[in-house]
This record gives sequence, C-alpha cells and structure tokens, in this order.
Amino acid sequence: MQNKTRTALIAYAFLAPALILLAVFTFYPVIYGSYLGFTEYKAAQFAAGEAPRFIGVQNFIALFQDELFLKGLWNSIKYIAIVPALQIAALAIAVAVNRKLPFMAFFRAAYYVPVITSIATAAVMWDWIFQKEGTLNWVLQGLHIINSNSAFGWLNNEHTAIWALMLVTFWRGFGYYMVLYMGGLQAVPEEVEEAAYLDGATPFQTFWLVIVPMMRPTLLLCSLLSTFAAIRVLDEVVALTPGGGPLNSTYTALMYVYQKAFDGFNFDYGMASAAGLIIAVIGIGLSIVQFRLNREGEERA
Amino acid sequence: MLKKALMVSAALGMGLGFAQQKVEIEFWSWYLSPKFDNYLKDTIKDFEAKNPNITVKWFDKQDTMVQDLIASINLGKAPDVVNLNIPDTFSAAQNGFLTDISTLTPMSELKGQFWDNPLNNFTVNGKPYGYPWYGWLNEGVMVYNSDLVKKAGYSEKTLPKTNDQLLAFAKRVKDRTGQYGWIPNFIDASGAPLWHGFFYADGLPIYDEKTGKAQFTSSKHVALLKKYVDMYKAGYFPEDMLRKEAFQLSMELYNQGKLATIVGGPQSLTRIKDANKDLYGKTRVAEAPLGKSGRSTGGGMDLVIPAASKHKKEAAMFAEFLSNNVNQMKFAKIVAIVPTSKGAEKDPFFKQESNDPIIQASGMVGASGRYIDPGFNPPKNSSVLYKNLVDNLEAAFLGKKTPKQALDDAATFWNANVNK
Repeated sequence: MQNKTRTALIAYAFLAPALILLAVFTFYPVIYGSYLGFTEYKAAQFAAGEAPRFIGVQNFIALFQDELFLKGLWNSIKYIAIVPALQIAALAIAVAVNRKLPFMAFFRAAYYVPVITSIATAAVMWDWIFQKEGTLNWVLQGLHIINSNSAFGWLNNEHTAIWALMLVTFWRGFGYYMVLYMGGLQAVPEEVEEAAYLDGATPFQTFWLVIVPMMRPTLLLCSLLSTFAAIRVLDEVVALTPGGGPLNSTYTALMYVYQKAFDGFNFDYGMASAAGLIIAVIGIGLSIVQFRLNREGEERA
Repeated sequence: MLKKALMVSAALGMGLGFAQQKVEIEFWSWYLSPKFDNYLKDTIKDFEAKNPNITVKWFDKQDTMVQDLIASINLGKAPDVVNLNIPDTFSAAQNGFLTDISTLTPMSELKGQFWDNPLNNFTVNGKPYGYPWYGWLNEGVMVYNSDLVKKAGYSEKTLPKTNDQLLAFAKRVKDRTGQYGWIPNFIDASGAPLWHGFFYADGLPIYDEKTGKAQFTSSKHVALLKKYVDMYKAGYFPEDMLRKEAFQLSMELYNQGKLATIVGGPQSLTRIKDANKDLYGKTRVAEAPLGKSGRSTGGGMDLVIPAASKHKKEAAMFAEFLSNNVNQMKFAKIVAIVPTSKGAEKDPFFKQESNDPIIQASGMVGASGRYIDPGFNPPKNSSVLYKNLVDNLEAAFLGKKTPKQALDDAATFWNANVNK
C-alpha cells in the first residue's frame, strides 16, 4: 500500500510541471472564458475596472436572435465540407509519394511548401488567381469552360467566394496532413500491399479496401484536427475577404467572435465568449460523431 | 531590529523621493517606425533637453496597437501618450479609456495651438480627448495619369470639378479607353464604411448627434446612392471596390495604368514614384472635385492620454510639445502631412514653386489644416452600426436590394442599436 502511494506521488511529481502549465494556460482560461459567456462584460465596464456581471443565458438568447451570428454559424458549418475532400486527397497523395521513386523527395517538399508559406504572401497570390482577369478565369477560358463575357471575380461573387476560400484552405492544409499520413503509412506492412496485389486487386481497390481501413486511427486524428481547423478558420477569410465577403457569404462564426473580442475599444467579452462556447460545443459534438463512426467502421472491419 | 526596519523604510522613502523627481513617460506611436525614426528621436531628445526631469520611452506600435493598449491597462502598466486616429479616439473616449485633456491643458491654450476643426475631430460629448497631430484631407488633390486623361478627351482645363462631373468623367474614361476613371471610397482597411461620406459631401445629414437617430433615408439620399449603384452595375467601377480598401485598390490599378485618377492625399504620389517611375513622369495633380457642399472631409491622428496613465501632467507636456507648430512643420517637411497647428498655413514651405507633383500637392493641401472637416463623428456602438451599414450598401450595389430598401433597412437597424 505504502509503496503504491509512493509510486503515485512520484508519478504526480513528474507530471506536476506539465500539469501546472496546463492549469495556468489552458484549464484556467477555458473555465474563465466559459464563465464570461454567462456575463455582461463590455469595454466600458473594463475601463472602469468593474467586474463581469452574471446574466445567465442572456448572451445566448441574443446570439440566436442575431442574424449576423447565425449567418456566420451556417458558413462555418458549410466550411466543414472541406474535411472529407482534404483528408482523402492528403491520404492519396501520401500513398503516391511514399514510394521509392526518383524525385519523390522533391514532391514531398513541394507539397509541404504551402504549409509554411505565410498567409500574407499566399493571400496576394490567391488574390491574383481569383481576379476577374486572373489566372483561374484564364485557365477556364482556355479550356472553353467559360467565355470572357461570363468571367467574374471569384471572391466577389456570393455563390463562389466561400468555395474559393475553401480551395485556399485545402491548398494550405493538405501538405500538413500528407506528412501525418506518411507517418501512419510506415505502420502498414509492405507485405499487405503485396498480398493485395497478388490477389489481383487494382491500385484503387488496394487503396480503398486495404490502406484506408488500416489507416483508420490516423484518419480519425486528421479528421478531428481538420474539423476543428475548419470550424475555426480565420486567417485566409480575413486576409482575402476582410469584411466577410459579398453579402457576408464568407463571414464565419469565428469572425464574429474575433470582432466582438478584438475590434477596437467597443469590445464585448461576454458576447465573444458566449459565441466561442457555441462554436466549441459544435466542435465537440462533431468529434463525438467522428469517434462513433470510426468505432462502427472498426467493428465492421 | 526596529531601528533596522526604520532605516530600511527611510532609505526606501528617499529612493521614492528621487524617483519622483525624474519621471519616465511612455509614448506609443502608430506605424511610424522605421521610416520616421530620426524625426521622432530628434524631437524626443529636444523635449528631454528642455525638460531634464522627464525621460520619454518611445515604442512604435503597429497592427496590435489597440490590443496592446487594453492589455497594458489590464496589467496596470498603461502608456502615457498614445497616438490614435479619430474612430479609435471616439470609441475609447465613449467607453471611458481616456483623459479629458482640458483638465491638463486649459482650453484657451488648446485653442491657441490648434485650429477649431481638427480639435473638434477629437471632441467627444463636448470634451476634447486628443491633442490633434498630423492630418489629411480625403479630397486633398486629384492625382491623374495625363496619358489616359488625354485619350479620354479631357484637358487640364476640362477636368472634373464636382462629384457629378467626376461620375461623368469615370464613365467617359471607361467608354473611350477601357480603363477605369476613378474609384469611390467604399470601405476602409478595417471594413468600416466610407461611402456614406458622399452624403456628407453633398450636404446631406447622416445621423442626429443628439438622439443618435439615422437621417439617411430621404429621397435625396436614395437618389445619390442610386447614381453610384447604377455606375457600379454598368461596370464603371471595379468589382473589387466592395471588398478592398479604395486606396489600396486605387494604387494597384493606377500603377498598372488601369486607372486614370486617384482623389486623395499626396501620399499616393510617393507610392507611385516608388513603384513606377515612368508613370510618375506622366502623373499630374489638380484640385480635387468636391460635392455640392463644397466641403472636403478629412481625418487625422491625435495624441491621447489614457485614463490609466500615472504621469498625466508630464504626458500632457510631451503631447503638447510634439503637436506644436514647430514640430508639426518639421514633420511636414519630411512627409506630406497636413499640420493641424495654427501658423502652419503661413509657412513658406507650402508656397514653393515646382514642377514636381509631390511638392505641388504638398503645397496645395499642406496649408489647409484649418479646413480639415470631420464630416460627422462616429456614433456610439459604431462597430455594430457600421458593419450593418456596409452590408446594406453592399446589397444595394450587388442588386439584392433597391437603394431605398437598403437605406431603410440600415436606418431601422441603426435606430434599434445606436443607444444599446
């Protein structure tokens, strides 16, 4: 018994530094932030040195009556559509570059470049691409998909702006997930692929029926990461459509939070925290769904 | 033991006594480093030489300025003199972050140093909250590409003088040259609306400063908005004007030879000179067209003293020094700003003859500090109101709402939220 207590104490002592850091920089802000969501705490109170005032769920009621927030929330949910596309593409590319062929190192590096490119640089480039007289329209005209009369700025059209931004997110993200998947692929024995090949499976079947199921844990991790990233997307949205895009078509829930919390001296920490809580709850809900789906998949496999 | 404690506290007391004699104040400028390091360092040195008991610690803040200020107030380490713009001064003062400077510098002294208009730019609910610093005119000069203008059939003498003529000009330039003639200011860099300035330029009201109620729904307002909306729909303005700040977009297009004019301050000329020497050679300046009211709106920077500052008296001395006529004129000689101090208009620097567009433009606007017109002041709760106004104006430009519907909707929202 005594021995056990000692072991536990030693374990906690080793954990303490990390726990203290987590408590100070993660748990405390999360708890305090959640509390703020139930208070009124505006700039004027802050300037006067007053404490937040508890008001129950009033902020949440106000949020669900605020068209701008609802629009933002809807756009954020739409943004999650990028997750499956991004994950499948990243995994497929990872499989493709995970071979011992010439120039593979070059491709791996090239696919990773967007991850480390600063958003300011990327925004200038994508702004050119999406212009009315930009590269994308030039290519589409070359392919006779559109003609010069129907060309439009992709970021200036309420129907295309959010998809254009998702393309940027896709471009910025897939190198990152590719690297994670390459790590996961190390765990897939070569013999399995060989066996599938000997059994007469096509490359597509091998990918879909052999590699994807074996990569389930990495897939779950990456999907969770990218779901959270999608629901919290901000950089590219603000850089390319600062006001929230045509008719607020790219205005996301996090932009609402950001404006309430950081937009000059008119800030409203109570509303910002409440809106942040709603986004967090949706994020957690989606992760539970993903865990469930993953488990069901495992049972079937 | 007791003796020791007494000695320690006496020593501490003396230490504090000495510290009080030499005061260190903290000054935050905004986006001025590294370009104006020499000017600011020299001016600070000058101030310290005249006030040996005060040292000034200078920091240049950039995009995180407001956040840093809020955080420093929270930590009890607020700076003493801060450089803000008009909208930030308003929301900071409305929320109680700033000191009424007339409690530090008598009103008569403020009126002696600054013109009324710039001082009014920083007066919130009847109280001044900022020492006016450098300013600008929104319709300072018209910078134009003489080649494009000629191609469109205009000469120096027939250039537009009014906003209506400017719209006709934009149409003709596009029809004859295929390039844009002019881009109206729709939003600023933060996404706040600028377009409603055109109401003001025509002498139409925006809102009642006493009650806060919107006043932009009359048939005259609707007709004015419609003129611009029609031009946009017919393709005479670039699509990007709804998404990008006009100054940035104008610079991009002008430097590529795709835009004939920029109406604004002389600062665009420096950018053209840096980006495209050939084009700069073809660039000329003229008086800016004005709206029916004949007024040119403008803006400016000020120096505020946070309510949380611990050295307000010394801060006021420094702010007054930095914004006096001598130091504003020194600044004006380095960069084309409009000094807001009395006496600047008589400075020979603004009367030089030259063929260089930058010197011409500086002369045209430099001496006009007293005319800087605030237009209208930001209302309470401005971020929320402005976002909704931009959304509604945008809906009108994109044809989702009629101009009348857009203005009515914006006014309804405005009235419901202005006093919240």
